[in-house]
Amino acid sequence: MVELRGVRHRYDGRLVLNLDHFAVPTGALLAVVGHNGSGKSTLLRLLALLEAPTEGAVLWDGAPLPRHPPSALRRRVTLVEQRPILLRGSVRDNLGFGLRLRGIGRTTVDRQVETVADQFGLTSLLERRRHELSDGEVQRVAVARAIAVRPDVLLLDEPASSADRAAAGALYRALAAERASRPFAVCIASHQLEDAYRWADDIRALAEGRLSPVTPENLFRVELPPGSGETKHARVGAIDIAVATDRTGPVVLAVPPTDIFVSREPLPSSARNVLTGRVTRLATHRPGGGVVAVTADVGVELVAIVTAEAARELALAPDAPVVFSFKASAVRVF
Amino acid sequence: MDFLAEGLRRALALLLSGDPEVLGIALLTLKVAVVATIVACGIGLPLGYLLATRRFWGRRAALTAVNTALAFPTVVVGLLVFGLLSRRGPLGGLGWLYTWQAIVIGDVLLALPIAAALSAAAVQGVDPRVRRTAQTLGASRWLTAWTVAREARFALAAVITAAFGQVVAEIGAAMMLGGNIRGSTRTLTTAVALYTSQGDFGLALALGVMLIAIALVVNVALQVLQGKGSG
Repeated sequence: MVELRGVRHRYDGRLVLNLDHFAVPTGALLAVVGHNGSGKSTLLRLLALLEAPTEGAVLWDGAPLPRHPPSALRRRVTLVEQRPILLRGSVRDNLGFGLRLRGIGRTTVDRQVETVADQFGLTSLLERRRHELSDGEVQRVAVARAIAVRPDVLLLDEPASSADRAAAGALYRALAAERASRPFAVCIASHQLEDAYRWADDIRALAEGRLSPVTPENLFRVELPPGSGETKHARVGAIDIAVATDRTGPVVLAVPPTDIFVSREPLPSSARNVLTGRVTRLATHRPGGGVVAVTADVGVELVAIVTAEAARELALAPDAPVVFSFKASAVRVF
Repeated sequence: MDFLAEGLRRALALLLSGDPEVLGIALLTLKVAVVATIVACGIGLPLGYLLATRRFWGRRAALTAVNTALAFPTVVVGLLVFGLLSRRGPLGGLGWLYTWQAIVIGDVLLALPIAAALSAAAVQGVDPRVRRTAQTLGASRWLTAWTVAREARFALAAVITAAFGQVVAEIGAAMMLGGNIRGSTRTLTTAVALYTSQGDFGLALALGVMLIAIALVVNVALQVLQGKGSG
């Protein structure tokens, strides 16, 4: 498992990443969502050991790493950049690049290259050179090239940004097949929430270099109407969500579960979003009690975090009527 | 114009006759140029890579120094090396003054800034993702540098050509450090200067043609190598 602890990373004195803790557990596929400039790519470069954080530590299986980690360790983590580049030579040369660096014999390299090419549907492209490939194909070759070295941690920065939907699906299916064959950690930075929802085990949201306290369930991709009014209404499924923002166009809305008030009846308050529905699921959030995650269908599925005591007092139970209220200013916009 | 035509006729005759003295001068010129280019590029290319890729204190000053050194007059470099190699100089004990080794030292000092400055520019021109890709796929520092060099091979070949061009055509340092001694340190450039001053235009022209021929052959060879490495 690779972890960041107390990381503050700066470029030219500007704080670009500020994370108390971030971990990519072995066997997990973690998605990091956030808009451009939120710090996703920087986060991946730190996890890839390509850069050392200005402050804080990178840990590998719990042990802090030196500023210049040994190459044996660096070889266990591989990053595919957002706009990857293919090195000189054919697709076959590229797929075998990392394997040859590891001193693997030609016969074994050839066999592994054929296998990974087959997995990613690249067999017909093996003898092509970089200028003969589309952007989507380059991206697929780059992911396959990274998989070929069988890393313990695979980091993908917008791996399907140049691919059409079908190609993106094929890429994620190939990744899922590889994960089924051996346990390794995957961290994907993506602004495509649909992919994150579909393929990731867990989602983290980054905003201005910080982790945003939202769960994947409360993230919505919407189109904000133009205009500079103080409150905008975004259509999410069957409901409208009031948002205090100047942003327009396609955005991601995040409703922090701790910012949702839960009640049985609508309460007079300043909350612009008052949504009625029914509880669909209750889950103790932490072992030993403490807080409860209340999932309710209020036109869309939303999750709220309440104390166990509050859940008892409100007699929350599956199928019980419930009201979720939250302020327009509590809705985060990415 | 007659003397030019006469000169060209003599040049052709000399080249065809295989005059041993002319051949000796050409071979010495080639030896000095090849050794100096290898040494200058052997030091200058890695130096250029470091200047282009590493962030360290004084990097900007180092780049400025290398770029300034590009404009060093050859006679000044010759003078400095002369001071070092002369009997009373710190390297006088080597006894290299007026030998081909002295010319090589002068030529290396002249070609080194070219190799370092131009290779730094060549490496800076390579997409930074190449370096990161090699690193993230597990390349060591050396293999990362090699991968970057392969991407910049055309520009680096041009750097080697420029360094060779500098040393093969250089006269100031060769004259001061080699002394233009017949049969020992006479190079094509110093010989051209000598025979011109003696009024032997034919011989001077023949040697000039030979100098151009050497430069042409080396450039063609480098281009062939580039062609083989393309793709």
